[in-house]
Amino acid sequence: MKTNITIPTDLWEEDEQCTITVWLASDGANVTEGALIAEIMAAKVQHEIEAPASGTLTILKETEVPADKGEVIGFITS
Amino acid sequence: MIVAHFETAAGGIRREETLLRRGRPAVLLWTAEHPALVVPGSLLGNCESGQAATEAATQGWPVLMRKSGGGVVPQGPGTLNLAMILPRPQGFTIDDGYRLICATIAEALTRFDIDATTGPCAGSFCDGRWNMLHRGRKLAGTAQRWQGPASCQVVLMHAAILCALPETMPWHLIERLQSPQAPDAPPVTKAAHVALDDLLPDGAGAHSFPGALIRAAEDRLHAYRPRISQMA
Repeated sequence: MKTNITIPTDLWEEDEQCTITVWLASDGANVTEGALIAEIMAAKVQHEIEAPASGTLTILKETEVPADKGEVIGFITS
Repeated sequence: MIVAHFETAAGGIRREETLLRRGRPAVLLWTAEHPALVVPGSLLGNCESGQAATEAATQGWPVLMRKSGGGVVPQGPGTLNLAMILPRPQGFTIDDGYRLICATIAEALTRFDIDATTGPCAGSFCDGRWNMLHRGRKLAGTAQRWQGPASCQVVLMHAAILCALPETMPWHLIERLQSPQAPDAPPVTKAAHVALDDLLPDGAGAHSFPGALIRAAEDRLHAYRPRISQMA
């Protein structure tokens, strides 16, 4: 089963893009649901992204690349 | 003691992180004895920034790293830091966090008949949508750090308020450190900034300002308590 990792849509009000500052797990790594896997920066705020499921992480969006609210930046295959 | 004094900004940043980990509503006012330029880690990753950091250190402005976002923030005796920590109420957004800390500062300034607005400020350090401005010049910069899983996030709202503008402030080095992040931004200049010392020339107000600020911050955090207890 595939579970998408998305940029939250309810964190900030403007249609401003965010940036993934760091992936805390590598592409292909096994991650556990609830573990911190990435940090994003939006409106001068650092925000943590946690794994929505346990399984193998696939990264779709690299660091320092702008991302939109609701955009899928990776997925977890369980 | 209303204002906590640290030898360097690293001490103040560590105290803020401790309060953030505790996750309870809290207010901290702090200042650092020694000057420093505090930058997010992402700004130190290239050669130009590294050279600028080395030059700043030789001029008495060592560069320290922090975990929140934004650009370069000058620290030292002329900068008063306000940190407000709050468990994230349901529906609370990043903009709500900025509104909260900016309204707190505006309330304290009002007690001294200083008018303030929010907005971007071309030519200022760490520019963003939520600067505190006095007649178009930057008086304070703000940033936030959110920590924890979505179900129990804690918000750290931070403001660096300019109390004095040191003559030795290395404006050109601030610009060089920030330029990789915003290469098209206008030059960082002293003229884009204003300090409390300029607005409270008698000195008495400057001594009273931290007290007014902490009362305003505590009142505003207190107003969130019903929403926080509903979450528990």
